[in-house]
Amino acid sequence: MTGTWASRLIIGLTLTFLIGPFFIIIAAGLSAGDFLAFPPDGLSLKWYLKVFEVESFRESFALSMFLAVFGTIAALILGVPAAYAISRYQIPYGETIKTIVAAPIIVPGIIVGLALLRYLVVPLNFTITLALFLAHTALVLPYAVRVVSSSLNNLRSDMEEAAVLLGCSRLGAFFRVVLPNIQSGVLAAFILGFVTSFNQVPVSLFLSGPGVRTLPIDMLSYMEITYDPSVAALSALLALMSVVIVFVAEKFLGFSRYV
Amino acid sequence: MSSAFVSLQNVSLAYGKTVVVPDLRLDIRKGELVALLGPSGCGKTTTMRAIAGLMSLHAGSISIDGVDMSRTPANKRGVGLVFQSYALFPHLNAFENVAFGLRLKKLPRTEIIGRVEHGLSTVGLSHLAQRKPAEMSGGQQQRLSLARSLVMEPKVLLLDEPLSNLDARLRLEMRTELQRVQRDTGITMIFVTHDQSEALALADRIVLMKDGVIEQLGTADDLYNRPETEFAADFFGFENIFEVSGSSIRGPQGSVSISFTAKAGHLAWRPGAVKIGSGPHKATVRGVAFAGEHREYVFDTGLGQIKASAPAGEPAYELGASLSFDLPEDGALSIPAKN
Ligand SMILES: Nc1ncnc2c1ncn2[C@@H]1O[C@H](COP(=O)(O)OP(=O)(O)O)[C@@H](O)[C@H]1O
Ligand SMILES: [Mg+2]
Repeated sequence: MTGTWASRLIIGLTLTFLIGPFFIIIAAGLSAGDFLAFPPDGLSLKWYLKVFEVESFRESFALSMFLAVFGTIAALILGVPAAYAISRYQIPYGETIKTIVAAPIIVPGIIVGLALLRYLVVPLNFTITLALFLAHTALVLPYAVRVVSSSLNNLRSDMEEAAVLLGCSRLGAFFRVVLPNIQSGVLAAFILGFVTSFNQVPVSLFLSGPGVRTLPIDMLSYMEITYDPSVAALSALLALMSVVIVFVAEKFLGFSRYV
Repeated sequence: MSSAFVSLQNVSLAYGKTVVVPDLRLDIRKGELVALLGPSGCGKTTTMRAIAGLMSLHAGSISIDGVDMSRTPANKRGVGLVFQSYALFPHLNAFENVAFGLRLKKLPRTEIIGRVEHGLSTVGLSHLAQRKPAEMSGGQQQRLSLARSLVMEPKVLLLDEPLSNLDARLRLEMRTELQRVQRDTGITMIFVTHDQSEALALADRIVLMKDGVIEQLGTADDLYNRPETEFAADFFGFENIFEVSGSSIRGPQGSVSISFTAKAGHLAWRPGAVKIGSGPHKATVRGVAFAGEHREYVFDTGLGQIKASAPAGEPAYELGASLSFDLPEDGALSIPAKN
């Protein structure tokens, strides 16, 4: 009995440690005072409402959304064929390619950001938006390849051969037989990529310029100037968005299979 | 070669540098049901994949109905293949699985529906048209896979171990089914099996393969009663095979003399042809197993171990018992020496 008691305590503490800050942030955003504080200084919804009135939040939210949606779509357009090629054909150094594709996860974001700034944005005169888009695509690509690979590995290749013998071209077999059967893997990769891109800080930090910022970076700079509870309110809303997305994904896709 | 419908000429097949089938020559007539028989790993699947166009030829050529198909892509050959693993499309129901190829042909809607329904009823699955493959039993999936290929009306239908994933009862059912479908449609069929009884029961002709080479080709009667090589003899139940040397035969443990004159080469006996209870040779019972109508024995003899069997009605010999036996001329298969 003491064993279960102790393990429950540990689980409880771990959960508190993981989820506790979330509740602190929600509460801090509910403050009626003018400064970020916990416990909150009175109760009101005004900071939650103010979030929607800050112009720069609206702009940076739109940019973050754009990057998360289109960066992830671009990563999937590159990643799905790559994953398919690696799993179906005995490509020389297939495993090495997978590792290299994973580099952006392993290399610290600060370095990736600096490298992109130094060697893409400055010398090639890329616009910041384009650089951000490329960076987010690259960051999401490893997830796309991994997640799609794992659902491809569960798919037997003789199905495609059967489709070919029934008259399909190889490409036709991919669209008619492979894609419908890895649908949920692709969707899972999209969600994972979306969340990853949306929450990305270090790379975006280097590539943000005047007037072009992703939401997390904008929140950082907002806090440097204004120390009011609206940042806490916004954080709580964003966390809620992630939770809802992951919850829905788990419910409909069994998301945890892929991650 | 005018009578050949499917013709493999000097076909060589390889994975990378490993040649699996060195030089295959095989002619199959229109409407024939041919069994490709051989132990696991002898190149049966590889040969089927080559005929279907899923694998390119290392050398040689394949023609179907007089047309050289060696360079024709798999989707233009008009060859159907029923995969050992069925390879059904999991996201489509039975109806759509069967309709898949017909839709690609852009046939009129009503014709597609008609042909799919006919295909499903041929294999007795009309009532399961809306089921997904995952909701069907192994036998049903097998039949669905067959229907999917049949509705395409292929020139040649290949079946890779079509019965091996089924349990004994279903296997018998599917056997009859295959025979019936073949008779009704007249489609030329080549099916792969490693089970000699399946080949004997179904095929017009049997191609016995070993290590990518045809050991013997003939009717069931030819292969069962007149196997021409040691391998073929062993495969069709002549399990006691001994080399002839002069007036005696030699086994792994030694030689014994025989009472008749035999040609040089090998002599082989089925277990049932070994005469138990009397004869010039001595044996000790090493193993005994009851097999319904028969009792199967393993004997230790001067030749080495031999296999024998006797009707279950006869008195049984216990483990360790000593007895006499004979390898009579009657029932001996003579395999001439290779030259
Ligand atoms: N994809 C492959 N790559 C390399 N060798 C293979 C491959 N598939 C089969 N082989 C080899 O080719 C030989 C014949 O295989 P296969 O045609 O599958 O035999 P069977 O169908 O008669 O059991 C075997 O030795 C097998 O190991
Ligand atoms: Mg095989």
